[in-house]
Amino acid sequence: MSLLDILLILLRIAFGAFVPLSFVAVLVWMERRGAGFFQDRAGPNRCHVMGFRAGGLIQNLADGVKLIFKEDVVPAHITHKFYFILAPMLVFVTALLCFAVIPFADVLVIGSKEYIMQAVPLDIGILWFLAIVGFGVYGIILAGWSSHNKYGVLGGLRAASQVISYEIPMGLALVSLLVVYGTVNMTEIAQYQGQLLFGFIPMWGVVVQPLGVIIFIIAAFAETNRTPFDLAEGESEIVAGFHVEYSSMKFALFFLGEYVAMFVSSALIVTLYFGSFQIPWFATETLLFYATEVAVAIMVGLPIGAYFFAGWIRKNNKSHYDRPNDPRRREATVYIGLLWLMVMLVEVVLLGYLVFAQNGIADRLLVMILQTGTFLIKTTMMCFVYVWVRWTLPRFRYDQLQKIGWEKLMPLALLNIFITSAVIVSFG
Amino acid sequence: MGAKIKVVERKGKTFFEQLYLIEIFKGMAVTVGHFFRNLRDNSNLYVRHYPEVKPEITPRWRGRHRLTLHEDGSIKCVACFMCQTNCPSECIMIEAGEREDGVSEKMPVKFEIDLLECIYCGYCVEACPMDAIRMDSGVFSVTSSNRENMMIGIAELIEPPGAFNEDEYQKGVG
Repeated sequence: MSLLDILLILLRIAFGAFVPLSFVAVLVWMERRGAGFFQDRAGPNRCHVMGFRAGGLIQNLADGVKLIFKEDVVPAHITHKFYFILAPMLVFVTALLCFAVIPFADVLVIGSKEYIMQAVPLDIGILWFLAIVGFGVYGIILAGWSSHNKYGVLGGLRAASQVISYEIPMGLALVSLLVVYGTVNMTEIAQYQGQLLFGFIPMWGVVVQPLGVIIFIIAAFAETNRTPFDLAEGESEIVAGFHVEYSSMKFALFFLGEYVAMFVSSALIVTLYFGSFQIPWFATETLLFYATEVAVAIMVGLPIGAYFFAGWIRKNNKSHYDRPNDPRRREATVYIGLLWLMVMLVEVVLLGYLVFAQNGIADRLLVMILQTGTFLIKTTMMCFVYVWVRWTLPRFRYDQLQKIGWEKLMPLALLNIFITSAVIVSFG
Repeated sequence: MGAKIKVVERKGKTFFEQLYLIEIFKGMAVTVGHFFRNLRDNSNLYVRHYPEVKPEITPRWRGRHRLTLHEDGSIKCVACFMCQTNCPSECIMIEAGEREDGVSEKMPVKFEIDLLECIYCGYCVEACPMDAIRMDSGVFSVTSSNRENMMIGIAELIEPPGAFNEDEYQKGVG
């Protein structure tokens, strides 16, 4: 193993571990501000450090500090303390582990060596995901049971009933997808989606499996315990469901676990159905071939985008009442300065690339960064869909979820398998 | 009979509504419309930036109490105990004393209201025969960091002027 090998392994593991964790902050922010905007209110926008509110992101810091310093109570009536403490860990760790097999860029070729851009370069991909995700729900059931609390047990019961309703349609939707891709390896699945259908449509999963994507997304919503399927924690009827007895960081772990799970399942939906890291019409080879042009296009496009973004900041970051010497205006000026600083930094790096380091490893690194960015943007957009759905739909009853799972989604998924197989057998 | 019967159309039975998805997408289109409207320009939000922007309150609003004064500055209250008797939460504590300024026979030497007990029902205002206690001070948010400060006496009660002009207030009373 050379130094480069070790460095890349560290890099990939760091990506797999820290990106979901840092995205939790972004997602909580997106959820709370998004909820505000969906409902025509402002959301948390007061917390600040030295007057800088970062659009409400500082609120996360305050929440985190609050959760850390809260008293960590283990109620005296709990007899199985081990399971009680194990449960939040399970939820969190399984959510995080799922991300390990998701590729965030195409295979990086340096010299004669190939590096698969997954935190854990496993061949079994989807199977790993199914195994780990199925395990995650044990955390919820265990939490509900070991809380020794009526509401907790009801929450755990609902989680258990939920898991038997969504896992089968989800598995069946994946079966038809695997028939199309012919592999369970995530990187190969992503590469498959770089092809073009009839020469002009990107061959994404959503194009070749329009029915499968609906089934899978519905099942994924149920799997992450998000509205409209968050019945395990129905606040209105069973207080908080499975995490009713948890406080402090144990609660925070459930909370983090939920958002990590949301991020991971968005990443999975993107990987399986929305072209993963592929930029539409720009497969890896095409990108490598036109690397110079792409770099120039970014150098031109970035300042234009930044100009409009700065205008948006200037317009919206102001006090909505008369205030002498509006500090929010000053805040906006600082943000815009930072934005242009970042743009300049990127421009300098790209200029350096264009002048000094073309046609080598630099090309491949540029493509890798572009693809990682594309992957993260797509995943963020999918997360936005999660937030969007949460603030639009009411919660399903749990018999309704079972009915949907067993009577609607499962026959549809089976039908989908037959149609897909027939098409593959006759044309492929 | 003659009662009019209005037949309410039951929705949700057609095939497309039974599919759920189409209706869900319609709902999502509504919410995302709001989202982008607010994201584009957040002055569209339907909220008041509260501590800085105060809500407009009407003359009939029952805010913190105040004791009214005669033209010459003497207190109108004659310590008749009507408000104290009428108070359902027993938050008014009056101590009557001799009146020396010749306006009438009695006046309160102590008039305390425990704002933590008060339920702002306005019965004291209705009971008062002298129009001496009113809830038109316009103070709608009473806060304190300890219990003792929530017990207000004559000095605090006299202090705020009425927040509305007399005509507007009388309309509300009538």
